[in-house]
Amino acid sequence: MTATSTTPVPASPGGGTPAPERPARRRHRHGPGHVLGRVLLYSLLAVCLVPVLFPVYYVFAGAVMEPRELSTFPPRLLPTGVDTGNILGALDAVPLARMYTNSLVTAGIITFCQLASSALAAYAFVFLRFRGSAVVFALFLSTLMIPGEATFIPNYLTLSEWGLSDSYAGLVLPFLAYAFGTFLLRQSFRQFPRELYDAARMDGMGHLRFLWTVLLPLSRPALSAVGVYVFITSWNMYFWPLIITRSTEMQTLQIGLNSLKTGEAANPGLLLAGAALSVIPTLALVVLGQRFIVRGLTAGAVK
Amino acid sequence: MRLSPQRRGVTAVALLASLGMVLSGCSGGGGGGTNDLTAPGAEVLEGLDEAVRVEFWHSMDATNGQVLNGLIEDFNAQNEGRIEVTGSFQGDYDEALASHRAAIQQGETAEISQIYDLGTQFMIDSGQTVPAQSFVDADGYDTGAIEPALLNYFTVEEELRSFPFNNSTPLMYINRDAFEEAGLDPDSPPTDLAGIREAAEALTVRDDDGTVVQYGFGAAVYGWFVEQFMARAGAPYCDSANGRSGRATEVLFDDPKVVELVEWWGDMIDDELAVQIGRNTDDGQAAFTSGRAAMTLESTGALGGFIEQSDFEVGAGYFPLVAADDPGGSIIGGASLWINGEGHTDEEVRASWEFVQYLLTPEAQSVWHAGTGYLAVNTEGYDGPEASARAEEFPQFAVAANQLADSEIDENTAGCMMGVMSEARVAAEEGWETALTSDTPADEAMANAAEGVRTPITEYNESVAE
Amino acid sequence: MAWAFLAPSMAVFALFLAYPLGRTVYLSLHGNDIIGRPNRFVGLSHFAEMASPEFAGVLLTTLLFTLGVVVPGVVGALVVVLLLEGVVRGQRFLRGAFALPFAFSVASASVIFSVFYSPGNSVLNGILYRLGLAEVPWLTSQEMALWSVCITTVWMNLGYGVLVLAAGIGSIPREVNEAARIDGATGVRLAWNVTVPMLGPQLFFLIVISTINALQSFGQIHILTRGGPVGSTSTLVYSVFEEAFAYGTSDFGRASAQALVLLVVVLVCTAVQFGVIERKVHYA
Repeated sequence: MTATSTTPVPASPGGGTPAPERPARRRHRHGPGHVLGRVLLYSLLAVCLVPVLFPVYYVFAGAVMEPRELSTFPPRLLPTGVDTGNILGALDAVPLARMYTNSLVTAGIITFCQLASSALAAYAFVFLRFRGSAVVFALFLSTLMIPGEATFIPNYLTLSEWGLSDSYAGLVLPFLAYAFGTFLLRQSFRQFPRELYDAARMDGMGHLRFLWTVLLPLSRPALSAVGVYVFITSWNMYFWPLIITRSTEMQTLQIGLNSLKTGEAANPGLLLAGAALSVIPTLALVVLGQRFIVRGLTAGAVK
Repeated sequence: MRLSPQRRGVTAVALLASLGMVLSGCSGGGGGGTNDLTAPGAEVLEGLDEAVRVEFWHSMDATNGQVLNGLIEDFNAQNEGRIEVTGSFQGDYDEALASHRAAIQQGETAEISQIYDLGTQFMIDSGQTVPAQSFVDADGYDTGAIEPALLNYFTVEEELRSFPFNNSTPLMYINRDAFEEAGLDPDSPPTDLAGIREAAEALTVRDDDGTVVQYGFGAAVYGWFVEQFMARAGAPYCDSANGRSGRATEVLFDDPKVVELVEWWGDMIDDELAVQIGRNTDDGQAAFTSGRAAMTLESTGALGGFIEQSDFEVGAGYFPLVAADDPGGSIIGGASLWINGEGHTDEEVRASWEFVQYLLTPEAQSVWHAGTGYLAVNTEGYDGPEASARAEEFPQFAVAANQLADSEIDENTAGCMMGVMSEARVAAEEGWETALTSDTPADEAMANAAEGVRTPITEYNESVAE
Repeated sequence: MAWAFLAPSMAVFALFLAYPLGRTVYLSLHGNDIIGRPNRFVGLSHFAEMASPEFAGVLLTTLLFTLGVVVPGVVGALVVVLLLEGVVRGQRFLRGAFALPFAFSVASASVIFSVFYSPGNSVLNGILYRLGLAEVPWLTSQEMALWSVCITTVWMNLGYGVLVLAAGIGSIPREVNEAARIDGATGVRLAWNVTVPMLGPQLFFLIVISTINALQSFGQIHILTRGGPVGSTSTLVYSVFEEAFAYGTSDFGRASAQALVLLVVVLVCTAVQFGVIERKVHYA
């Protein structure tokens, strides 16, 4: 299992360079069947697009409906006006602001620490020759094959024993290192000319300083790719935060949504309002930073 | 017999206290306690240098949590320099039980734990708590005003084990507008299954194409309802007198009464008189508030939300009987308060009891009932100013209290006491759902489900027997 | 020196991957007391218990769920991307529209679909009713519930698939298409004979990732069905959760045994697919 062969991400060779933007097709044949083909094509696209977009539409439409517009049969599809009742109700039922913060802090710490631990490890694999590095690297890669769900029970027990359940530490600790980041950064570091490294070392530059001032700035594409991937996966985590948190003060946004559903005040309007509020940041990210995300995710998906 | 009569006299108290000690020692399987787990007297709080700190782990969030925090603040203000209670939300009931379990392992339980009804036997078996009876006896505390149905549930082997606190009972809710349109009297909702079916036939409305736009009935497949139907039919849910006279070894929810219920339920759905709801109670609520189902079954706690969310008048009636001649009775749900003795000083234990006593006062219960919709554990709480104001606003609420007051108090209405009660409830739901969603006949489905609980029960009983 | 740089990662792996695996094995061989502490050695009996119709049902559900997510998900993304190839103007905009569901986490998507499916007052049934069609028992029928969960998952994952495949199409050398056109290939033929084969690596990659994700899916089942009705949507991961954390039972022994089965299933899938990927990549 060589490194190159496990990089089947054609969009982003080396896990970093942006995918070339596809130029719009310039030439098209115009034949008699062509118009019919166009009509067919666009109707097919529309047929596909409606079910894809309807939930996106409805989460916002439902969020601003009056609670009673949703609790009639059949539920309304268009809001008669903009009503803030559901949104205020959702904010009142669970502390969404606090949960936003928790999600941000959790995903932020995990992203930062994974980047740091991965960069250090990748540096060791590329620049610090040591006995058994091939074996250690293989071990690193093998950790990628273990599904988190297989370790959650003992991790839950361990962290509870340490008194860290229901805390930020409990939320992030098992995820502070991930071999995938090491793997991608290693790919990126390997492209760094060995002579430059030797020269820097000859000048007496320490390892950490070299890593921090020279290597990392040059690896920004790979770092951001890993960073985006890690951030989104940890932002969306569900199973682990569900079991390790208890109090509303420590719950992440994702768990807060479930609490909205199982809470005493549950009603469709509240659920849609909560989902709408929770999805706004990632939706903005997808709309505005799609190219960036593509790079991070297609790279991320190599594991 | 079931209610602990009030006892006075020093000798009696001492005798009972030591009896309580022996009993708790016997049933304490998992804990292996070193403390004697009896109630210390009030004198331990005299001459303190600093306030005793009491941590209270609970599952009350949102509105309920706010009301509880208000009570805690009030108590702390009254006991400044003496007792300082800190509330700590521990997630929903299952999560709170899990954290209590973890805390037992670490030897770091809170002073007071709020644990749901289904965890009662577990709490007894884990041997960490001072039995409520011990406090009652030591102080000669008068339980006369406490709702008898609640005492009945939390009394095991003639000993009150914990203090009921946030409790409710299920009711039948009706859409009064729909009743009137159908020419039915909303003031006398049906009281048994046959009556519901009859009403549902009138209440079910179809459009021109024959599609049902309003069903007569619709409620979640919720295991608590099975327990309720059995209590109302005077049938025990598990053997050994509902686990009250000894360890239960099997569940009895394959009782003909339940089979009749499940068959009736399936027929209602097949005949398009009832909308099929899964196990999620929020779906049952949605069916009712949206007007899809004109009658539903839900906890007393749902009333406020129903009134707020529906654009029709909401009525409430007693939870139905399977058959008109059933004795009627009612069991409760919700959680109770446990005072942990293992690993806690006498001061902490006594301070916890002081706080629990405060929570059980009519004044606190009036605030609690009015703010949360839970029953007033202390029935005098209904006369408090907050509760009275609420009763004026929601006259439907009296139904719950009346239903309990009308209930027989015996072992069948005490509910089943068993270590794997939550698994049993899930099994009952699965059996019920199997009958509704497959060709399996109701009796077979319920019998299989009941049989499936046998192993967990045996395993549990074995694990606490050693 | 090198070890110092490796230490942070290795410490995390040791504490939260290696040690837990060992502890899972240990737990799986033990029974619990009521507090959740392992208190007796039970040998392989937790594994022996798995030879039951219930557990076979869990495995079958896991398989059906995986197929029901991966096949429509990948085919759907491919169809969308190929259709988009035919669009002259607004291709990026449309691709962005198809990618929107990607912004939804499993919890938000599941919560939305719970409103769509709600047996109490289903939005989707409302639409069917308006169209004069029969209602669908989305979550209340044993036959339907699993597919309803699959639909939610496919919807959630479609955006990702579109992004991956679109990136793949973007990296097809322009000359390949030009050459094909000169040979007279257009429309469906161009797509099927040229584009799809060129997307081989991306498609394969998407299948691998979707499979692994499907095997680990949890949130949508927890929020939509809690494994029901009658266990018809209880997959392996959900079953592990239920044994260990639901209903206050804390049966860590049984749950750990099932977690090990999950581990083996995922390992086998990953290993098989890694092997195939290697070949695919060399081929490409």
